[in-house]
Amino acid sequence: MLLDFHRLGWWRWVLLAIVIAVSAFLLLPIIFIATLSFGSSQWLIFPPPSWTTRWYGELFADPRWLAAAFNSLKIGLIVTVLSVLIGLAASFSLVRGKFRGRETLKALFLTPMILPVVVLAVALYAFFLRLGINGTVTGFVIAHLLVALPFSILALTNALEGFDKSVEDAAVLCGAHPLEAKLRVTLPAIAPGLFSAAIFSFLTSWDEVVLAIFMASPTLQTLPVRIWSTLRQDLTPVIASASTVLVAVTIILMLLVALVRKGMKS
Amino acid sequence: MTTPFLEIRGIRKEYGPVVAVHDVNLEVDRGELITFLGPSGSGKSTTLYILAGFEEPTRGDILLDGETLLATPSHRRNIGMVFQRYTLFPHLSVGENIAFPLRVRRWSKADIDARVRRMLELVRLNGYEDRKPAMMSGGQQQRVALARALAYDPPILLMDEPLSALDKKLREEIQHEIRRIHHETEVTILYVTHDQDEALRLSDRIAVFSQGCIDQVGTGPQLYAEPATRFVAEFIGDSDFLSCDLVGSNGTTADIRLGDDLVVSGVPLHGRPGERARGALLLRPERMDLSRQAGPDKTGLPVQISDITFLGSNIHVAAATGWGETVSVRLPFGHQSISGLSRGDTVWLRFDPGAAHVFT
Repeated sequence: MLLDFHRLGWWRWVLLAIVIAVSAFLLLPIIFIATLSFGSSQWLIFPPPSWTTRWYGELFADPRWLAAAFNSLKIGLIVTVLSVLIGLAASFSLVRGKFRGRETLKALFLTPMILPVVVLAVALYAFFLRLGINGTVTGFVIAHLLVALPFSILALTNALEGFDKSVEDAAVLCGAHPLEAKLRVTLPAIAPGLFSAAIFSFLTSWDEVVLAIFMASPTLQTLPVRIWSTLRQDLTPVIASASTVLVAVTIILMLLVALVRKGMKS
Repeated sequence: MTTPFLEIRGIRKEYGPVVAVHDVNLEVDRGELITFLGPSGSGKSTTLYILAGFEEPTRGDILLDGETLLATPSHRRNIGMVFQRYTLFPHLSVGENIAFPLRVRRWSKADIDARVRRMLELVRLNGYEDRKPAMMSGGQQQRVALARALAYDPPILLMDEPLSALDKKLREEIQHEIRRIHHETEVTILYVTHDQDEALRLSDRIAVFSQGCIDQVGTGPQLYAEPATRFVAEFIGDSDFLSCDLVGSNGTTADIRLGDDLVVSGVPLHGRPGERARGALLLRPERMDLSRQAGPDKTGLPVQISDITFLGSNIHVAAATGWGETVSVRLPFGHQSISGLSRGDTVWLRFDPGAAHVFT
């Protein structure tokens, strides 16, 4: 290959430097916050004078933090289930359906991805005021479902398009009811797509903060909202440890997705 | 009159303004292997999909043992099918794939195990039950698909160009297997293909599809010797066509004029005899002879040799008529009439009028 790495001469050292710089730019804030969460300084001095797990102790001892984490988990899981179910139904009709405006509808389903979240948040806030569901789990779930669905639909339409319908037809001719064929043949065959849809839906809700701030009430907060509001009141290393927990969950789930995709290829 | 085993009666299928199947009528006997032969877009696959229940006909009916099949949804038709593409369930092993239709039918575990073993034996894949489909070759996958489709003893097996993705050698091997399995199981097979060799090799009878209709149904030799339409004549075997004038007819045979002055009588006629109509004379390459003299008894048409090709047991002679059409004659190696001939020579083309056909 013309652009083979080993034939680039001294250019490869320039490329290497750029890679390191970009990686550092992306990773340093995370490493920084994780380091601080284990630092002993109450004033977040860097580098930390000594190491401690005291802030994690405080984090897990504080019922308000635990409640926020539990809310995030609960809302995230409900959003995940709904997003996959609705996404699956939408994807089946988008991929298998024969109707006018199919392509337009597909594009429409993806608009929450490109719409500024704050615009969506203001609109939902005004709308939910009338319905009286601001500050409720229902409000949170609907808001997060809106931004999670595009990811779910994208993952599932891709998976369904890559699945040969003849395989499902074969199951039907074997005697399986069309619904049974979908459950026992089509869904297992697109399992990696379902998994991606679920993880991305969960993560979208898990670290979403803009919609959450609009939806939150003093009694119902998610983890990112709790971090945000604590930050405005006082600066404590507990925020760093909460952020680290948030990031750790995200990274673990992303690694899972990568592992499943790799497993499918081999 | 006895009820036919399977009857396709006046099937028509429209997709909006497009008519995929015009009017298909066919009777199939129990235990028959019948191929639907035709080019793509001739309606053969659509007809098969209507039988499977994946498409609904706009008009017409399908009767199995005298009862309509159209009211039954696909999954209750108890029909087996092998598809053009590989359709094994990717997450199940070979054994589980074959067991799938039996599990759906709530067979007992012992019965399922015994049947799976027997089906693997039938397609000669013993010992493969734990393999995943992705680890098998295309030919093996289609054999497993065949085993899965036959596991529940369906009265009818549909095959939609199952071998088109395989190479020639493997294809012939599996064609042989299909013949054997057909004899062993006595299942009725409807087989779609666009490959005339495949159709001739496999079938008891062939239904030739053209533009949404069946042009003719018959055994290979019947279609070859007595083609009903010009399309069938062109599709089955090699053929030469010469344009001619119809000068007389009694309805079943015609008198035709080739070129300016050669009149041939008693050629079997297909189509309507019109006044002074033009026709196409069908000649089979191996049913013609070349001679240095114009014979008194048989017909003889002067042609000029344009090419001679030696092909082992056969010699192909291409020759041009006086008005510029070409015919290709196949002669056995060592045939006396060919010796000493070379390009540019003029010879007389002879054929038996009774074995030729004229189409209007």
